[in-house]
Amino acid sequence: MSTRVPGAARRGWPWFAVAMWLAGGLLLAFIVLPIIRLAVAAPPSSLRQAAATADVRDATLLSLQAAAITAGIATLLGVPLAYLLARGTFRGRSLVQAVVDLPLVVPHTVAGIALLFLLGRTGWVGAPATRLGVSFYGSQWGIIAAMLFVSAPFAVNSARVAFEAVDPRLERAARSLGASPWHAFRRVTLPLAVRGVLTGAVLVYARSISEFGAVVIVAYYPATAPVEIYNLFLQSGLTQATAAAVILLIVTLSTFLVFRALASGRLLTRIDHAYS
Amino acid sequence: MPISAAETDALHYGGLSVRGLTASAGSFRLGPVDLTVPPGRVLVVLGPSGAGKTMLLETICGLRPQLCGQIRLSGAELTGLAPERRGIGLVFQDAALFPHLSVRENVRFGPRARGRAADAATADSLLRRVGIGHLANRSPRTLSGGERQRVALARALAIRPRLLLLDEPLSALDQPTREEMRAFLQDVLADLDIPAVHVTHDRDEALSIGDDLAIIIGGRLVQAGPAGQVTAAPADQAAARLLGWVHLGSGTIAEPGTVRAGQFTFPDVTDPQATGTVQVYYRPEDVLLDSHPNDSSGTGAGGVVTVIGGIVPTRPLARISLASDPPLTALVLHRDLERLQARAGDPVTAALPRASVRVFPTALEASHPGLLAPQPGTYTPPTARPAARSTRCRTFGPPVGNPGHGRSSADRGRLGLRLPPRR
Repeated sequence: MSTRVPGAARRGWPWFAVAMWLAGGLLLAFIVLPIIRLAVAAPPSSLRQAAATADVRDATLLSLQAAAITAGIATLLGVPLAYLLARGTFRGRSLVQAVVDLPLVVPHTVAGIALLFLLGRTGWVGAPATRLGVSFYGSQWGIIAAMLFVSAPFAVNSARVAFEAVDPRLERAARSLGASPWHAFRRVTLPLAVRGVLTGAVLVYARSISEFGAVVIVAYYPATAPVEIYNLFLQSGLTQATAAAVILLIVTLSTFLVFRALASGRLLTRIDHAYS
Repeated sequence: MPISAAETDALHYGGLSVRGLTASAGSFRLGPVDLTVPPGRVLVVLGPSGAGKTMLLETICGLRPQLCGQIRLSGAELTGLAPERRGIGLVFQDAALFPHLSVRENVRFGPRARGRAADAATADSLLRRVGIGHLANRSPRTLSGGERQRVALARALAIRPRLLLLDEPLSALDQPTREEMRAFLQDVLADLDIPAVHVTHDRDEALSIGDDLAIIIGGRLVQAGPAGQVTAAPADQAAARLLGWVHLGSGTIAEPGTVRAGQFTFPDVTDPQATGTVQVYYRPEDVLLDSHPNDSSGTGAGGVVTVIGGIVPTRPLARISLASDPPLTALVLHRDLERLQARAGDPVTAALPRASVRVFPTALEASHPGLLAPQPGTYTPPTARPAARSTRCRTFGPPVGNPGHGRSSADRGRLGLRLPPRR
């Protein structure tokens, strides 16, 4: 004869978990279904045709190149700021953090217009740059500037979280052992935070390659892939735009996955094992 | 295996002198602290959590800015010097090993950062000396607490420090490992010819490792001196509690020098001119017990007849509660417990030797333990007098020489410590 233990949980349907999965599953489906629908919308022949089109090819390469450069610049400039925010107890720290997060709340078309005022031929930065022969308006530099503006918070915040996770006592130990602040940063803090820094770079890359609003205002031409797809949609309709969109999707997803694997260290570990 | 003096021949010799050192963190203020640690001696800084012990070490090694004061090592002024240029080895509470480097690379980190040759053989030799040569290739993540602290010690010694600071290195360890590491540290520190400062909140650890003892409470240096002297004569109630003295209760000075507390009478424990109420403290392990109340030969004169309230068989000493007025606690060896054949409810005679009783003025001390300096005429600490807590920096004259090497004993006394020669 079995006896029920007083207060024991009743076995039955795990309602809580089911409800959570139901809600989460709806969102997952909402994200995945359009991508799948898009992927199957373009027949292989149209993909080959689109890939052979110079405009689509150039736009995709331009997007890849500009996003990669943006990720590099954002990491280079974002890591010091992230370190200051993670370690510093300076006055105005909250304000600096708010400024870092500002691009997340500014509509991207607004960001594009603001950048035009700054980087345009008569802007505070644009005017002297133009005299030096560098033009942001309608150039790759303008595209990179627009991408950098909208994606910089990802580099800073990701690195900041990574630096915060590094025990400050390790830096103190390094200093007491004779390391200068730079040596302690380079040999202890940065290696321990490198995954967070790389994750930030990957997020910047992903955010940059998909940017449309700010880029289309600062540099409508040369067209990046999203701008080119928009052009095709306006000029030739959904069918032409679909093929280019699928090509961009494949390129973006594949590069994103490779970079993400690199950032997480899995790919590096596998390569290391393969050669050892 | 202990590190011999010959093996540490490259270590620099010289003492540490801290004068008027103050630092602050938020509203917490440390100091002024005056300390002298001659080469080859170990000063243990004992204090409760939050007393400012770690802050003192961080200030000495330059990781925290000092407000006032002077820090001199081997005769050289360290004030204002960056931590990497002070040549001080620091062992952290949780070892703070670099998790991305192997044990060997952890040990090589310091010499490399200083631009010195840091071959693997030297690091391995140091690791063997601290008993973990077989762990050189391991990741710190895979080590036990005791092994981590051994690596941290090897790493600190690898830079050939002029001073070794140990910040509660045993506090995160389990009891058996802590006892093993305590013995190991004793050996290592005894063989070093540099000054060492070890901070802890553990009384047993302090007394087993330290040649000298400094007590810090609430950021204030309460007392400093040879460990035996400080333990035998704490400067105030807070220091007494920290050193294992137990509060018996309030007493009154009935006649010159004699204090009465309930059933107990303690002759010659205060200044003959002192009057009023005092707080009485005693050492529970020094309580003399006799199971034959009618025979005074066991405890001598002055014992009080009472009843055993209860016995707690703690190890290594059993705890006997006595239903005296005020209640007394005695710590006794288990073999003595068997000899006494004591049981709860049995009558017993309890007495306290003169040296095991200390009295302190009541006044503010009772409500603000540790805030009052010892009162003149009532009690005289053996060595350091606490400095006044002024917010102004004290000024110091030019260097007076290398502490421990040529400095006169008068100089050392002036700095607050008069220490015996190296053991």
